[in-house]
Amino acid sequence: MSMPNDDNASSQSQLASLFFEDLLDSIIVDVASEFHRISRLGLDRNLEDEEEELRLSAEARAKAADLSNSGEATSKYVVDIFGQTHPSVANEIFECMNCGRSIMAGRFAPHLEKCMGKGRKARLKATRSSTTAQNRYTRGSPGSAYTPYANSTSTNSTSTNRYSNGTYGIAGEGYSNGTFEEP
Amino acid sequence: MCLQRTRSFRTQRHSVNRPPTPDAADDQEKQPSLHEIINIKMIESGEKERLMELLRERLLECGWKDEMQNLCRTFIKKEGRNNVTLDELIRAITPKGRASIPDSVKAELLQRIRTFLVSAAL
Repeated sequence: MSMPNDDNASSQSQLASLFFEDLLDSIIVDVASEFHRISRLGLDRNLEDEEEELRLSAEARAKAADLSNSGEATSKYVVDIFGQTHPSVANEIFECMNCGRSIMAGRFAPHLEKCMGKGRKARLKATRSSTTAQNRYTRGSPGSAYTPYANSTSTNSTSTNRYSNGTYGIAGEGYSNGTFEEP
Repeated sequence: MCLQRTRSFRTQRHSVNRPPTPDAADDQEKQPSLHEIINIKMIESGEKERLMELLRERLLECGWKDEMQNLCRTFIKKEGRNNVTLDELIRAITPKGRASIPDSVKAELLQRIRTFLVSAAL
């Protein structure tokens, strides 16, 4: 080429920049299409989690708005976003898997406390009963993630027919959180 | 040009309509630009592919790709996951993408492109 060096260099740089922009655009399109696919297929955990958070917070806000709008001082009968009312204590009745009694859903947690030994009375009841073998077994077994008292297994073993919270049971019917039965 | 083709047009029994083959006259009217010539050379020699891979690698290392993905995520969250078309997404992130290139990466790539230009122009 018969162009002077300066012109040559600047047009070269221009050309080089053009090519660079070209490459960059292609890569941007790649990234965008990849991400678009992931988001449409619902494969991105982050996106899903944030969606759920948004939904939950929107629901909560709707509930709060409802409460303030209706002007009820007591929330005995709360109206949710669908306009349904719920009694303040859940009243479905079902059977406790530990002791077999029929319990009201709203009273289930306190029942479980006494039934499974979280409460004071149940723990006292437990230490009095049970063989040493059972104690040794439950003390050494790993606790499940559900129960905060899995570490204090020695005090948690109830009578021979029942399981302790989340530790591996020895014998008996029924089931508790994620434990397995021994024949 | 038309005179040459009317006969074949009337009497053709082929099921496929072939476009008229370009005459030599057509080609001489438009010269491929320098840009296009070099582009073809780059592609044929494999240099374009190498440059793309190099750029991809550098952008990944410096975290640019993650930044882009965050931008995408924000945009999609704002517009609603199922309402965003690919075109909209591309149009939304391209200006920011171009602007957020680190200078070192840009310089390296420009250097390589210029080297190629010099070698290709010979």
